[in-house]
This record gives sequence, structure tokens and C-alpha cells, in this order.
Amino acid sequence: MRPDESNSLNEVFSLAYEELRRLAAQVRSSDPSATLNPTALVNEAWMKLASSSRLEWASPLHFKRIAARAMRQLLVESARRRHTIKRDAVLITFDEPLAALIATGEASSEEEFLKLDAALSELSKLNERQAAIVESRFFGGLAVEETAAALGISEATVLRDWRAARAWLGRELSRIS
Amino acid sequence: MDPKRYARLQDLFHAVADFTPADRAAYLAQHCAPDETLDELEALLAEDAKAQPALDQGLTPHLPPNEDFIPRQLGPYRLERLLGEGGMGVVYLGFREDLSSYAAIKILRDAWLSPARRERFLFEQRTLAQLNHPSIAKLYDAGTLTEGTPWFAMEYVEGRPITDHSGQDSLNLFLQVCQAVQYAHQHAVIHRDLKPSNIFVTSDGKVKLLDFGIAKHLDNTGDQTVTGLRLMTPAYAAPEQFRGEPVGVYTDVYSLGIILRELLPGRLPVDLEILIQTALQQESHRRYSSVDALIRDIQHYLAGEPIEARPDTFTYRSSKFIRRNLTGVIAASIVLATLAGLITFYTINLREARNEALAEAARSSGIRSFLVNLFQGGDMAAGPSSDLRVATLLDRGVVGAKALNQDPQAQAEVLRTLGDVYQKLGRLDQADTLLVSALDSRRDVDNLNGLALLRTDQGKHDEAEKLARESLTLARVTQLNVAKATTTLGHVLEEKGNYDEATPILEEAIRILSAPGQPAMDLAAALLYLGNVHFYKGQYPQSQDLNQRALAIYRQTQGPAHPIVAEVLINLGAIQQDTGHYKEAEAFHRQALAIIESYYGADHPKTASTLTLIGRALVLQNRLDEAAGLLTRALSIRERVYGPDHTQVASTVNELGTNALSRGNLSEAEAHFERMIAIYEKAYNGKHYLIGIAKSNLGSVYMRREEWSRAEPLFRQSLDIYARTLPPGHINEGIGRIKLGRTLLRQKKYLDAQAETQRGHDIVAKQASPSVSWLNNAKKDLTEIAVLQNPSLTK
Repeated sequence: MRPDESNSLNEVFSLAYEELRRLAAQVRSSDPSATLNPTALVNEAWMKLASSSRLEWASPLHFKRIAARAMRQLLVESARRRHTIKRDAVLITFDEPLAALIATGEASSEEEFLKLDAALSELSKLNERQAAIVESRFFGGLAVEETAAALGISEATVLRDWRAARAWLGRELSRIS
Repeated sequence: MDPKRYARLQDLFHAVADFTPADRAAYLAQHCAPDETLDELEALLAEDAKAQPALDQGLTPHLPPNEDFIPRQLGPYRLERLLGEGGMGVVYLGFREDLSSYAAIKILRDAWLSPARRERFLFEQRTLAQLNHPSIAKLYDAGTLTEGTPWFAMEYVEGRPITDHSGQDSLNLFLQVCQAVQYAHQHAVIHRDLKPSNIFVTSDGKVKLLDFGIAKHLDNTGDQTVTGLRLMTPAYAAPEQFRGEPVGVYTDVYSLGIILRELLPGRLPVDLEILIQTALQQESHRRYSSVDALIRDIQHYLAGEPIEARPDTFTYRSSKFIRRNLTGVIAASIVLATLAGLITFYTINLREARNEALAEAARSSGIRSFLVNLFQGGDMAAGPSSDLRVATLLDRGVVGAKALNQDPQAQAEVLRTLGDVYQKLGRLDQADTLLVSALDSRRDVDNLNGLALLRTDQGKHDEAEKLARESLTLARVTQLNVAKATTTLGHVLEEKGNYDEATPILEEAIRILSAPGQPAMDLAAALLYLGNVHFYKGQYPQSQDLNQRALAIYRQTQGPAHPIVAEVLINLGAIQQDTGHYKEAEAFHRQALAIIESYYGADHPKTASTLTLIGRALVLQNRLDEAAGLLTRALSIRERVYGPDHTQVASTVNELGTNALSRGNLSEAEAHFERMIAIYEKAYNGKHYLIGIAKSNLGSVYMRREEWSRAEPLFRQSLDIYARTLPPGHINEGIGRIKLGRTLLRQKKYLDAQAETQRGHDIVAKQASPSVSWLNNAKKDLTEIAVLQNPSLTK
């Protein structure tokens, strides 16, 4: 890594983060019920950032890995904040449907998502590769072959690991709740 | 669980996952120790068979809603709604109850992401605090939320992106943008992200620059965003930003170029095309060196002058001349070789002249007198009968002058001399470049005077006055050239129309110059200027006396065929003209034209002026076809030299209008006078008697159409302007009242008509010869009114 590369890595991360947030918000605001496809989001973020910046040292795959991490962090922070806000009920939201949700006391997905994140962190201690696969596929929307190429493993391994990790995470989620 | 145990579980999981329950049990019995706990494996296998909504449905359920959670109240501001999201944060509309005012509140979302983000956000805040310009959104307030989220409040700008305003005023809007960017540059701030969505235009047409989110301080060498990614908007970013190279003022120049291109779509005039291309040069050093230089060229363009930028410094300029006259170029090339040699000669001489006195002598007796003689016609052989040839020579002279940069004083001298000559030749654009350069290299009284006089010629009176006042102040401090600076200021004020201010200043100049040993020419000039002042104030006897004194001086010192003699003849003709002696006026003007045409050439603004004056005298003698020919020729010269909106053009337009009116072509006349009003109102800001003349003339068109109710207000407005700009009893007022009287008479307002006509008659009768048509008209109207009124009086 060149001396300025770690800085650049941070930069790419923060760029990917902002870009993904923007894209997600864009999709949501045009159609609130739209299904968000992380693959499309990350691809679009890559297209945009690659054409606009000095990213030649980073391959698209490299970027997607970083983007996946960014996406995860973005969602965790968002969920954490919403969760905190709901709990404390000190701050209020401009998002009217969500405000209504809070008022009726319905369950939300934030808690579940935060548990998923915690479980994934736990998994990375047990099997880093599996955690990376989950992060890439789930948060970055990487295809099996992309995940394999990004992590330098076979596609069969990706599939095997995904299945195992999925089971383990499922168990963790049901165990905690 | 530890990784080791997890790995073991994984092996078992994969081994049995696809087995039937029976096969699983068999496999596990065979491969596991009896005491190995398999609860965890079973749990995994159970989960494997189940749906995992959190994972299987993808991200959709987890993605955040559109907007974040933001407190309703930030400091003193109540947040109203989301305005937008930028690269560095989110912007809300905030309302401040106690001040009842709105502000844009920018909040850095996710400040935790990196210290660099926070630093950049605070940098924008500091930058806004530092910049205080009407076209840059102001910083109001700043703070931090309890969890560490920074925010600041800035001026809320209601408007639309500048590209929504593309149209006639887009160049002027763009100028405002440039001025704001230039201001930022002066504070060492490079915007780096200029684009239409960051440049708003308010409903009252004011430009506001927004979003200094990725701005850079020129003196901040430790800027960690130099090699940053996406710290730009690709469509508006300069090549060096893509390459990750250092940015500078030239980076903003490039973005401005792209914005200008967007504001002015389609095919553009050559000058604008060159201007944009210069801003958009790939290599930063070939762009405008500053936004200021870009501003200057836009102003040149708006003033109808050629721009300073050249696709190739010399070819563009010379090709312009070549297009004008191909044969002249061949003759000129011989002469310019000679001039180039001479310039070089003096350049070397000056460099070698270590002795300041020698250098001074070379300057004054050498270069200057050589050039002035050459171009003013002192040297008959090389005389300026073809101004094309001279202009080409001058271009080469400019190249030579650039070689003088070792000696700024000499260089300024040469540049000013060349500029003066261009100005005398009516080539104001080239004169501008040179005189500005001269002043840049040496801000002395001569150079200030030189540029002040050019600005006056260009109709830029405020700028002229500023320069002339600076010159006089400097002259008084140094006790050098006081008389010249005084005369210049007097002249500038006279041209500006500030006669009351000009009078004592010119009288002071004449007092100084009347002392023995003072140059007679300078005295004559001051006499002329004061003569003009009296003329414009309608004080004809005083004006005539001053002009006669000047004429005597010039004839004696310059000879009877010198162009300055023609100038004075023109003044004397104008006095005759304004007092209704048209035949005498024509005679003076024709004498002047003979001198001017042979001296300056047929294509010179002075020729145009003289043609106009003769045309005017002819119109009033009812020799209309003769006049129309001269006036049309004059108009085309002036439009080309001064641009279509110059007051010099307006005076010719006036004559053509009068001519059309006399020929009975009323719609042509109406169009001419409307153009005349527009030019004068713009040039004099509503405060000049010429606007009154223009309105009065348009009124005459309506009179001819018998549209009395349209004519009446124009005459009243005209008289109102005279009342504010001319002494009471001026002949223009007299004519205006006679015209108004006629209009009232036709509307059967007899009493009012009688009063106006009588007053008008009395004013005109005092100053004009008894034969002028206005007096006859007035007498006729008064008789008619008397007849019409009698029956009503006898009732």
C-alpha cells in the first residue's frame, strides 16, 4: 500500500457510504415500496465514483468489497440511531409513516438488524471468511462468482460457507430473541 | 464457542446437511466420539431447513427511511423542512422565531465516519465566516449537537440555479458570479466545485454562490484532500482535478468556462467563442491567469470591444486587419519592418542608458516624439492617411514594447504612447489594452490621465472621473503636472455632464496655464473644454469667446490645416447651429470636414461626427436627401467604432430620425427616436438634457400623427428634464414649450396652450434669429388660439 493509500481507502469508504445512502434514498423517494437491490446500488455507486475519481488503483471488485462494508456500517448506524430515538422518544422524526409507527408501538426491524450485525461480528471471530462472504453477498450484493474472486476462493466454497453461515446466524438470531 | 469448535461443527454440518435424518444419525455415530455434544449441530441443521427472513429477503427490510432523525430545534432555529443533501451534509430550512428570519441549516450527518469529514465541514464553516460578499451566502451561526453532530446556519437563498436564467441577461449574471469567485480568490479561497446547482439567482436578479464544502485554501499546504476522490463534480471539473494535480485559481476559471458555455448554448460570436475556449484550455497556464482577466474580457465583449484573449496572440489580431484591407497589408509590411527596427533600436538604447537623464531624454525625445510624429502626420511620408497601415505598425510596436520590460518606466511610456495613438485613430479597443497595461506598469499622473481620457471616449464616465481624481490628487502631492491633471479632470467632468463641477476646475486650469512659460497648447485645450461647458449650459456668447481664443492659438502654433483647428471650427459651427444660424453652421462644419477627412481618413469617428453635424445643418435647411446620405455613412462608422449602444451612435440616430420625420417616414422616425431615448437613458441614468431632446423628438413624431395625447406627456417629461439639467430660459426649453403649446392647442386646451406657446416664443426670440421656424410656428399658434378663444370669451 502506498503511503496515501490508507487515506484513500478511508476516502473510498466514506465516498461509497455517502453514495449508497444517496442512491438508497433516491430509490425510496421515487417509490417507497420499491425493493432495494444492493447489487444495483453498489453497481451504480461504482459507476458514479469510478467515472469521477482517481480510483484506478482499486478494481471494481475491490471497490465492491469496500462498498459492502460501507453499506453494512450505514445500515447499522441508521438502525442504531432509530432504535435509540424510539427508545428515548426525545427526538422526533420528519418521516411521518415512521412517526406513526412509533406512536402505535409496533415492532420494528431495527432491533433485529442490530442483532444480525452483532451476530455477524461474532461470526467473524469464529470464521472470518464466512463473515466476509456474508458481508459481500448480503450487504454488497456481490454475485457468487464476484465474491469468490474478491476473496480468492472457489465458488463452491462460497456456496458452502454461505449455507453454513446462514444457519449459524439464524441460530444466533433466534437464540438471542 | 471457539473457532476450533466452530470448525469442527462446520465439518459435521457440511457432511450431513444433505442427508436424510437416518443417514445423519448413522454418520454422526460413526464419526463422533460418544461424549461429543451435538446440540449445536442440530440447531444449525434446524436453522438450515428454516426460512431466514432477516437474510433471505435481502437488504430491503433493513434500509433506512428517506430521512434521518434530526431534532426539530437546532440552537435558535426551528427546522422547517429538508432543502437538500450535499456531499458533506444535509441542509434544512430553519426559522428563527425571535428574528422572524429564515436560514439554511447545514448539518454534518454521520460525523463519526471520519475526522477528515468533520475537519472539512468545519473548514467550510470557517471559509464562509471569512468571506463577506453580497454574492456569497453568509454564515450566521454555528454549533454542535449533544451527540457531536456539527451544524451551522447560513443565509437562506431563495432562487433558481443560474442555468434556469439563460437568456439576455445571462452574461451579466455570469459577471456577478465571476466577481464573487474573484473575491474568494482574493481571500485565497478556491471554490473547486463551481456548478449551476451551487450558483443561485434570486428573484430580484442577484447571484448567490453556495456550497464551499470542498473549497480549498491556497495557502493551506497540508490540505489532505488534494488527492481526494470525488472532491469535484465531473461535468464541471478541470483536467487537473481528474489528474489529482494541484488546483488553483485556474481550476475555478475552467469551471466558470463550462458554466458560461452552458449559459450560452448554440453558435456564439467569435469573440465569445475565443473567450470560452481560453477559459477551457486543457493546460492550466494557457487559461485566463485570473478570474479578473476573464471578467475584463467579458466587459470588453459587452462594450463591443475586441477581447484580450487570442487563440494565437498575433495571428488573430492581424487577420482582422487583413480581412479589412488586403492590399494595405502589403504596403504596411514594408513600413512595419522599419518600425520594428526602430523600436528595437530604442529598446537597446534604453537598456544601455545607465544614466537616468539619458534614459529620460531617449524616452521623451526618442520613442515618443518619433511615434507621435509618425502617427499624427508630422511626417508626411508616413502619415496616417491609411489608418490600416498605421494600426498594423502599432501592433508591431506593441510587440516591441513588451521587450522593454526591463525598464518599466520606458515600457509604460511606450505603451501609453501607442495607446494614445490608437485612441486618436479611433481604435478604442486596442487603446484600452495598452493604456491599462501602461497604468499597470506605472501608476503615474500621465498614465492615469491617459486612461481617464480613454474611459471618457468610451462613455465610461464614472471610471474616468475616478481615475482623473486620483491623478489630480497624485499631481498635487508630487507637485508635478498639476495643470494637466486639473485640465483632465475638468474635461472628464465636462464630458460626464457635471458642468457646475467642471467650471471652477477648468477656470483654475486656465489660471495656471495663463502664466508665462506655460505651454500654449495646454492653455488652448483648457479654453476649449471650458468653452464646451458654457456651450452645454446654453451660454453661447461666453462659449464663442473661449473658442475664438483657442482657435487663434491653434492656427498660430499648429497651422491652418491641423485637425485641432477643425475641432474648434466645429464648436463654432455648433454655436451657430444652436442659435438657428444653419447656413453659417454648415459652412463651419464643411471647413472642418475638409481638414478631418484628409487627416484622419474617411473611416474615422471624427469624420462621422463631422458628417453628422453637416447632416444636421442640412436637415434644418430642408435639404433632406443630401443629409440622409451623409448621416447613414456616419452611423455605420460609429456603430462599428463605438458599438451599438454608445452615446456617439445616439446623436447620429437622432439626426436620422429627424431626417425621416422631415421626409414623412414616421415609423422610421419613431424607431430612431426610441433607440435614442434608450441609449441616453442608459448612458446618463436619466440625468441629461439629451434625454429631454430625445423625448421631445419622439413627441414630434406623435404630433405628426396627430396623436396629441401621446405627444403631450413626452413634451412634459422633456421639459421636466430640462428644468433639472439646463438653466431656466434655455432655448431647448423654449422649443419644448412651443411644441407642448401646439399639442395643447390641438386638444382644445386653449388657456394652457397660450401660456406655454407664449413662454416658448419669448425664450426662443431672445436667442435665435427671427427666421427660425419655431418662432413662426409659435406666432401662428398664438394667432390661432386668439381667434379660437374669442367666441368663448364673448359668450
